[in-house]
Amino acid sequence: GKSLTACSEPSSLAPQPGSVGDRGRRPSPLCEPPPRSNQKTQHCLALLVAGEMSSAAYLDTDENLEALISRIEQKSRKIETLLKQSKPVEALKTALEGSPLKTRDERCKSANWIVVHRAMMAIRDIDGMFNSLDTEYYDILMKYLYRGLSTGDRPTCDQCLKIHEKLTERAGLGCILRSLADTVNTVFVVDKSIVAYLQLVWLVAS
Amino acid sequence: MGCRLVPGKCPLAVLSVIPYSDGTFNQSVTVIAFCPNTTEVHIYKFFTDKWEKLHVLAKHDQIVSGIDWSRSSNKIVTVSHDRNSYVWTQEGQDWVPTLVILKLNRAALCVHWSPKENKFAVGSGAKSVSICYYEQENNWWISKVIRKKHESSVTSVAWHPNNIHLATTSTDGKCRVFSTIIKGVDTRGPQAGASVDWKFGEQIAQLDLSPTWAFGVRWSPSGKTLAYAGHSSMIYFVDDVEGSPAAQNLALRDLPLRDILFVSEKMAIGVGFDCNPLIFAADETGLWSFVRYLDERKVTPSTSKASQLSEALGKLYGQSRQGSSSDTVEPSKPRGGAHENCITCIVPLRKGSESIVKRFSTSGLDGKIVVWDLENHITIPK
Repeated sequence: GKSLTACSEPSSLAPQPGSVGDRGRRPSPLCEPPPRSNQKTQHCLALLVAGEMSSAAYLDTDENLEALISRIEQKSRKIETLLKQSKPVEALKTALEGSPLKTRDERCKSANWIVVHRAMMAIRDIDGMFNSLDTEYYDILMKYLYRGLSTGDRPTCDQCLKIHEKLTERAGLGCILRSLADTVNTVFVVDKSIVAYLQLVWLVAS
Repeated sequence: MGCRLVPGKCPLAVLSVIPYSDGTFNQSVTVIAFCPNTTEVHIYKFFTDKWEKLHVLAKHDQIVSGIDWSRSSNKIVTVSHDRNSYVWTQEGQDWVPTLVILKLNRAALCVHWSPKENKFAVGSGAKSVSICYYEQENNWWISKVIRKKHESSVTSVAWHPNNIHLATTSTDGKCRVFSTIIKGVDTRGPQAGASVDWKFGEQIAQLDLSPTWAFGVRWSPSGKTLAYAGHSSMIYFVDDVEGSPAAQNLALRDLPLRDILFVSEKMAIGVGFDCNPLIFAADETGLWSFVRYLDERKVTPSTSKASQLSEALGKLYGQSRQGSSSDTVEPSKPRGGAHENCITCIVPLRKGSESIVKRFSTSGLDGKIVVWDLENHITIPK
């Protein structure tokens, strides 16, 4: 039978390349670029298609993780430059783009969080930020806001709460639901205690 | 917009199937069947301006979780948490039940008659779907079970107009399409589909678009488009599932949907936790988008939901917000609309054999059944 998955996996997984996602739109900069292709990853890909390797293992091969980490380091340098040029919104966009949502590696996720956190804390004018932030960034920003809230660190939480209020006004409750419900594209390594924590926050808030 | 019936004080868990326009009095008489969260099914008739209770079908031991009423053959099928199903036929003034053994070891959750009304499909918590058909020689209903593939409870089933393809949604988040060809019941006609001969229970397609539970799958009237709702406030429209599936994922602004109805080929209504039906429409290129809510509501309470949320979150973190006054942060419930709680079910009311649905009814956890009339409110694109 045919199968259709929502993630932007390499095209050999979905039987019809390009059949996934919204029609007629350019690929979003927020999508993770597919894993780098060389002999070793081609071998892993063959195993994946044959069903002998799980997709999580495929994405988390050492090669890919190294590539992800170096990409995050590159992002970090670009963000520092943008912040020096007083462009905090651009910096935040850069931080959110290409986030390693599908991998299960804690290092990558933490590394990206640090980068997003740096950009997020630099923002002073939140309303202004939303005027230039496209709607495709909303869902992933909401996920990082909850990661920020979970740190418990006072300045981080203050900033996250301020952004959260405005983001909820703009994006609606659906955005919050997607950040809670999505266990495939995550900014934490999915941990049952964190999910329970988030649900507790949600229950108290509503 | 509609007449209302508030039959009981308890929330109506599963409800209504409501077709029927009785031509004999030259007036449209609406007859509905629903379960008021008990083990019975009540049948009411709306005549002139009041509702009359006609029958009570009481045979199940536990809550009736699914009801479907076939229009042309006038049979009602009910399924219940007691793992049984009954097919009710009307003899004179009474409804006579016939037990259908579903071979389930968990509750049955949903049921639908096939378009030709010679089969019905039951989704269950046993991770299986039972397809039941009538065997003439022995005068009873036989069930064949699709046991493989589902990884969790089957929440909703929907028949393709060709009477063979069945779409199911499940709490494992996937939507699957199966073939339900049964020898002796389904004749292989020209409309039976592709050149490949599917066997019974064979999975034709699997759609893994939702990371969370999936509900409310429906085919469009021609069978070209399939729609289902994900619990992460998403609705998915998939074209050409049997051939090369092309999906559109629509992110909703508010709360998730539980059920969907195709009003026409290009318009669908979704209902769910917003307590207000949502209208979706497709343009000429086939791109779906959200149009508006069906029910106009009064203005929401003074503090917006977002700032209430932030206040509550702030309290959790021991923060004091400047300027905010009240210590009583009331949960803001939508006020002034037809439904006050989650709408769980939407069913069309068809007159004769029209292809566009102009009236439908919704039922919800607030115990209300509301009949909606689209005629004067929106133009429905064909």
